[in-house]
Amino acid sequence: MSFYETLYIVDPNLENNSLEKTMNEIGTELEKTKSKIINHRVWGKKRLAYPIERQKYGSYILMQFESGDQEKMVDYDTWMRLNNSVLRHMTVLLDEKPELYVEEKKPEIENSKDESEKEESSNSKDTESVEIESEKEKSNDEDSSLDNEKTSDSKEAE
Amino acid sequence: MAFQNRNKFCYFKENGINEIDYKDVKLLRRFVNDQGKIMPRRVTGTSAKMHRKLVRAIKRSRSIALMPYVEKGIE
Repeated sequence: MSFYETLYIVDPNLENNSLEKTMNEIGTELEKTKSKIINHRVWGKKRLAYPIERQKYGSYILMQFESGDQEKMVDYDTWMRLNNSVLRHMTVLLDEKPELYVEEKKPEIENSKDESEKEESSNSKDTESVEIESEKEKSNDEDSSLDNEKTSDSKEAE
Repeated sequence: MAFQNRNKFCYFKENGINEIDYKDVKLLRRFVNDQGKIMPRRVTGTSAKMHRKLVRAIKRSRSIALMPYVEKGIE
């Protein structure tokens, strides 16, 4: 039992409907390997560091799952490679079980560095957003773990 | 003193970071020069253990186009 994470890039010009369709296709393809999908979400549209297939931008989609049949994972990998709507993909082994992603009220989209810095400074006051920040930035490990403990305590009290 | 030790410290040990996420581009950018090259340990002061993890994270984020393989530096 190990946990993996696939990050893949999809053409950014896709409409929302067709984006969902491709996401569903990829999800069903992965489920053929008897894997359990934990998270499957759009990470955001980002500028690529270098052009891939003449695209300058790409929408990143993150999928975290628990592995099933290891032998069939090869088929899944080749299927992803042959899939024309996926520009690039990468599957990585995770150390721990990933936390279930809960959608925020304000989804964080990092278009420019200035905006994201402002958001972080404003978010750091709220305890809720600190938890989600900790997923992306593990630099504040100590602070966030303290906050997590606090919230878990409050949940138990309820 | 002609030879004074500069204060070198491991950024990760100082901040209590044990794992480096390849998706955290903002953090990884610190350890790369303006050409996109990974800076040596003797410059950044990163501990050997964390440098190995750092290198892996940077190479991963390069392959998924979050960070550049090469970038035109300032001339």
